[in-house]
Amino acid sequence: MVEATIKREIESPALNSGAFSVGDRRRITLKSAEEINCAMELYADMVRRICFVHLKNRYDTEDVFQNVYMKYMLYEGTFESREHERAWFARVTINACTDWLRNFSRRKWVPLEILDEEKETLDDTSAEILETVLKLPEKYRNVIYLYYYEGYSAVEIAGILGRKENTIYTWLARAKDLLRKNLGGEWV
Amino acid sequence: MNQIRESLENIQASEELKQNTLQYLYKQQPGRRKPRVRFASAYAMVTACLFLLVGIGGYFVYRKPVSYISVDVNPSIELHINRFGRVVSTEAYNDDGRDVIEQVPLKNISYMQAIDKLLKDESYSKYLHEDSMLVFTVISDRPDEIVEELNDSELLQSYGALTYTSDSSCMHEAHQHEMSFGKYRTYLELLEYDEDVTIEDCHRMTMGELRDRIETCSHEGQTDDRKENHHGHNGNSHGNGHKCDD
Repeated sequence: MVEATIKREIESPALNSGAFSVGDRRRITLKSAEEINCAMELYADMVRRICFVHLKNRYDTEDVFQNVYMKYMLYEGTFESREHERAWFARVTINACTDWLRNFSRRKWVPLEILDEEKETLDDTSAEILETVLKLPEKYRNVIYLYYYEGYSAVEIAGILGRKENTIYTWLARAKDLLRKNLGGEWV
Repeated sequence: MNQIRESLENIQASEELKQNTLQYLYKQQPGRRKPRVRFASAYAMVTACLFLLVGIGGYFVYRKPVSYISVDVNPSIELHINRFGRVVSTEAYNDDGRDVIEQVPLKNISYMQAIDKLLKDESYSKYLHEDSMLVFTVISDRPDEIVEELNDSELLQSYGALTYTSDSSCMHEAHQHEMSFGKYRTYLELLEYDEDVTIEDCHRMTMGELRDRIETCSHEGQTDDRKENHHGHNGNSHGNGHKCDD
């Protein structure tokens, strides 16, 4: 059971700027290199995919990707389980992407751009499906990804996104309708 | 596995992205940044200290006199010269001299400029008349160079100035008697001809009067080789002046 009480991570100026202040240095307890390497192996693909469904290109992806792992390195809490840690990564990555897109200049999101960057790894069907997913509103993209790829339940997604379960159910239903409409009834 | 999952399976974090991130995290670690900051701070401090030391050292080098020229007529003035040939301080040893240096700023210019300025100033030139005697006495680790420069000066030649050299022990004795070392050297020269002359007598006499006294004494049967330490524009021989007592 994923911990449903994961709170939204508070953005640290040090993280945004990519630098530590003297005060930060005194407070923080860093994750060890071993922990970071382990987290890289376990969650890098998930972080990358969440970035993929949110961000415009690989440059943005790399920035957010690094910020997520920076937050992990500085995170002082403890994880009760791998699932808890995985949910933490999902939540932090979604928030990082959302914050990244708050910058107005980055709002000009072009899904085809990031698809073009991945075209060598995608066949036509996959490219078509992902293009359709990427055209969904942001909130639907999140639930579709967490539900269909990560396999989280609506309750778990509610915990990760900090929304009511009913809201997640509604979003899931609407997202499925949009996908069905665009991809046809046999897509799932 | 649904189609969305299958499609997203192709999206993976590349090794390049992982390695770039790990390197980024490695660089951001305070433990890694700290030495750089410390080193930068230490480097800045060392550089600042170096500049400070060079600045202070340079100041003291500039301020330290290494050569001295005593200019005596009746005003007795000493010019203290640094290794760059600049006057860094002046000292007067009688009232006339004090009046002059109060009116003529001589510091931070070359000693030849200072002498030129001094001789041309009205407060000093009034002492340069027909009966006066202008005497320059040099103490330096390069006395010949300074003496030669003085002798080459047309202005000094026009006043018939005499040039001598002396030494620091002589200067020390002179200052103990509150007298310029140039005038004191002349007093010692006179003392060789006239054992009765006192330092108080010399205090009251101008350089012209002292020179007349020496000339008189020397013509009164004294030996003539006393001038051998003298080298001026009047063609006399020169030497190191008269030795002071230890």
